[in-house]
Amino acid sequence: MISLECASLIYDDGPTALADIALTVEAGEQVQVVGPSGSGKTSLARLLAGRTGDDAGTIFRGALTLGGIRLEFGDGVHPRIDPAAWSSRVGYVAQGAWGQLSMMSSTVAEEIAFAPANRGMSAGQLRTTVQGIAARLHLTDLLDRDPRTLSGGELQKTVIAAALASEPRVLILDEPFQNLDAGAAADVAAALERLRSAGTGLVICEPLVPERPPGHTRVLALEKGNRVFEGTLADARRAGLRRYGIALEGDPPRLRSRISGSAQPSSQPSGDPSCDSSVHRSGGPSGHLSGKSSVHRSGVPVTGPKDDAVLAELLGVSFTYPGKAAGTPAGISGIDFRLGRGEVVALLGPNGSGKSTLLQHLNGLLRPSSGSVRIDGRKLGRRPTGELAATVGYLFQNTDQQLFERTVLREVAYGPRAAGRKREAALEQARLALAEVGLLDHSGPHPYELDFVRRRLVAMASMIATRPRLWVLDEPTAGLDDVGRNRMGELILAHAASGGGVVLATHDTAFAHAVSDRTVTLEGGRVPA
Amino acid sequence: MPRRRIFNPLTELLAAALVVVLVLVINRWQFSLVVLLAGVLPAVLLSGKPRSIGLALAVVAGPLLVSSLVLHGLFFPEGTSVLAQWGPARVTVEGLEFAALMGLRMAVFSGALLTVMMTASIPELVSTLTHRGWNRKLVFVIGSAVGLLPSVAIRAQHIRRAQEARGLVVGGGLRRFKALLMVSTPLVTGLLVDASERTHMLEARGFSSTARRTSYLPDTDSAAQRAARWAMTVGVVVFSCLWLAIGPAA
Repeated sequence: MISLECASLIYDDGPTALADIALTVEAGEQVQVVGPSGSGKTSLARLLAGRTGDDAGTIFRGALTLGGIRLEFGDGVHPRIDPAAWSSRVGYVAQGAWGQLSMMSSTVAEEIAFAPANRGMSAGQLRTTVQGIAARLHLTDLLDRDPRTLSGGELQKTVIAAALASEPRVLILDEPFQNLDAGAAADVAAALERLRSAGTGLVICEPLVPERPPGHTRVLALEKGNRVFEGTLADARRAGLRRYGIALEGDPPRLRSRISGSAQPSSQPSGDPSCDSSVHRSGGPSGHLSGKSSVHRSGVPVTGPKDDAVLAELLGVSFTYPGKAAGTPAGISGIDFRLGRGEVVALLGPNGSGKSTLLQHLNGLLRPSSGSVRIDGRKLGRRPTGELAATVGYLFQNTDQQLFERTVLREVAYGPRAAGRKREAALEQARLALAEVGLLDHSGPHPYELDFVRRRLVAMASMIATRPRLWVLDEPTAGLDDVGRNRMGELILAHAASGGGVVLATHDTAFAHAVSDRTVTLEGGRVPA
Repeated sequence: MPRRRIFNPLTELLAAALVVVLVLVINRWQFSLVVLLAGVLPAVLLSGKPRSIGLALAVVAGPLLVSSLVLHGLFFPEGTSVLAQWGPARVTVEGLEFAALMGLRMAVFSGALLTVMMTASIPELVSTLTHRGWNRKLVFVIGSAVGLLPSVAIRAQHIRRAQEARGLVVGGGLRRFKALLMVSTPLVTGLLVDASERTHMLEARGFSSTARRTSYLPDTDSAAQRAARWAMTVGVVVFSCLWLAIGPAA
């Protein structure tokens, strides 16, 4: 149905991004392209989507065949691909849901209808199509919401729904499960499987080998633009791909600084969603939400964080978002939460359950409608968020919207400068933070010139540079490959070991269990009793 | 609280554009002042978001107004009635009148267009244009131009929150102005990156398809408003021709 023969792909006279790759996808076939950051997954996806980049200095040598028509590319030969005709048969969902929005739609329903409306689908059929897809992806309640106000996971599902609406013959998805909770991921997987069984060819790019895709899935593994494995899913899981930086989904991160005798993923039954707190790395007794019986990472039990050991405390915190329009986020209600020094707590819960809302109360980005917040022993009160930056570091879910300087070094030095450090001192702090995340050699470029994993680590370094005691991390591993995920885990453990505290919201339960002392599960803005 | 919508956004946008045309054609500061006080100001106050529009006006038109006042108020070569003089700088009656004319015009332009842009329902506007069979690229350009402000505002808010989380303290007065400046560079960079990515996204979603585009939203336009738009347009064109031919001389 579609095939790619790529002899080489080179961006702007740089190193070869892809070399000697051949891929054919037949009707009803699913191919999983896996590889670490920089392995060429996105380049391959773009080529299949007809974006050969010859208008932007990219040199592609090879051929693309779609529906029996073969286009050959080489030195001086750049056949023009008609994007309208190509995209009517080959759908493409790129990374970064925000950039996929048309910005012409005020509701999720219109966003889903955008592509078929462009192709002239009648109004009645548009409504039927939108309702059907929304039902399959459990988006019906969100149809009247402004897509720009959705949570990361909800936005991702919307973008995928919009791609499904066109019913393409081939659908290319670049990390479609990023930011999705288990339920949402299952919905998307089911919708994709339905599409595949109806004859659509699927190409799904992921940094990890998936845990439970359909058994017939074919896996193509890439490393530095080269094919390192191609075969069945079962063979891929046995092929030892971790030596190429390709872990299996569900694997815990590899942490060198893991405490001796620490448990792997919790011994607590994981199927119980109401299990609001369980002790993981330390393998001790279950704690309470307020952390009364948490166990220190050193393995020495402590009796919860005493008052002077409490780094963050939320008491009876409720928050309601302004506006009463249908679909306005629910906020949080009656949250009690304590975090001790040296403690790592993971917030779990489905998309839109209030995890990010809770996190934003820890540095004053949101102020509670009722209840109180204490950080490092002091009531939050009306202290501006900026004044808390030396105590609370915040890693946002959307990496690119928190990078705003001209170079990586300036980006990381922003925090120390804002805290009043002299220029040289701030730059020195920035270099130390960059060294911690392993990016000291990348201090010169614009942050946008780095790949996603490095941009994520730049955001992390920017947070670390002000040396905050409390780290608040929103989806820290989303989109990271094995190496990036391991490094993130190491950073968290090292911070906790030095007496700092970490609260992280994540859908990566294996990671949460590996790095956290306990988990707290939110549902509908509450902690289930 | 958002105002109750009476007219189709296309009607409102056209009305604002025609006001701009009239202010350009009738080259009198008195007319601009009347339009500002009797038309634009009530529209801003009744828009449901006068503070936001006021802030946008200050950011967009404020620097232009100040520079116009300084430039024409102090350095108007045709000025003869000198009120004060400091070396080469002369405050003249003619210069002040010209500065007032330009300033009032700019206030009317910005006020009328910003009020429509910040209150109009973009999807409804786009839907109306689509139902009327306008060229989709033109529709997108209009929709994007009018819809850019809310998107820019959301993005600016995200950047400011990130900067606050890293130590920026947004206070009042000069600090707020400085914070505004610090948002601008990453905002423009981000918008450019987004624009580049969005071009590909639009292609991938069939935007350049040749089929006639349809709309998910129902057509909310009415025959009466279509007739009113034609009448307004014809009226302003005829009036402008007559005014330019005989008005200024009269």
